[in-house]
Amino acid sequence: MNAAEKQSGTGKFFVVYLCMLVIPALEVVVAYQHIGGSQMLAAMLPLAIIEALLGVLFFMHLATETPRFIVFVAVFTLFVLATINYGWTDSFRLLVGAPFAK
Amino acid sequence: MSHADLALGGHTPVMEPSPFAIPAKKLAMWLFIISDVMTFAACLTAYGFLRNATADWPRPFQSSTVINVMVMTFILVSSSLTMLLGVRAARAGDRPAAFRWTLITLAAGVIFVLLHIRDWAALIGQGVTLLKNPWGTGLFGGAYFAVTGLELLHVIGALIAILIVGLGYRSGRYSSGDLENCGLFWQFINVVWMFVVPLVYLMNVAS
Repeated sequence: MNAAEKQSGTGKFFVVYLCMLVIPALEVVVAYQHIGGSQMLAAMLPLAIIEALLGVLFFMHLATETPRFIVFVAVFTLFVLATINYGWTDSFRLLVGAPFAK
Repeated sequence: MSHADLALGGHTPVMEPSPFAIPAKKLAMWLFIISDVMTFAACLTAYGFLRNATADWPRPFQSSTVINVMVMTFILVSSSLTMLLGVRAARAGDRPAAFRWTLITLAAGVIFVLLHIRDWAALIGQGVTLLKNPWGTGLFGGAYFAVTGLELLHVIGALIAILIVGLGYRSGRYSSGDLENCGLFWQFINVVWMFVVPLVYLMNVAS
């Protein structure tokens, strides 16, 4: 690694670092808006996903791995998330039906 | 000539190329992280499930908690950067600088843990336990402590790993790759915190 590479690389990471600090601040602004829970979730979750992507791609160096490996990680992670979240509709049923919901 | 070569009649064994062109230890760490995604995703989904399905879910967090959480976030994100700088120094073969950045990361992690414990202590002081709280459904305490406790457990485990590998790297026992793998896990914990903050804290700010 030469000095120029080192310098430019570090600069990129500082930009990512600043973005990762600004995004939580934006989430705090959203938290103090007088909006419903679902609207709040719709506003915060994309911000959290962007922040997580920045962390995974740059701080975990996934962006510099081989395309095959990126696909491997993406497919497995999305599959895990999709399978775990398939039962959401049931939580709306529980809102009116489950004993502990009262 | 090794015993394995002798067993093969003196022929050099043909090694299978590393999958995805990355070192085996790093691949193992990524596989572990993906499996840990399952743990956290299940926990956060269960939390969201309960919150959505419970009519009287409390929103107890005051501005003081939000400030504390933002300070914790600043420290954790900053520690991600210092860990990254440590790994880059290790890759460049600069052992003293790598160890220095690793120690800074450790210090930041310890501060994060202390702030987290302070946050817990404040809630426990208000009467929140695993089964009850003064505001509404008793599920809140259990869900809150489960999610944040899992995160805290990961942070403490990672700090122990970073300390051991950092010291081992300085003494030459561990390589820069080992430090990088530790760094990967630390970055992952940071990524998980990005979801814990909005879902567990900010969506429960008292209005």
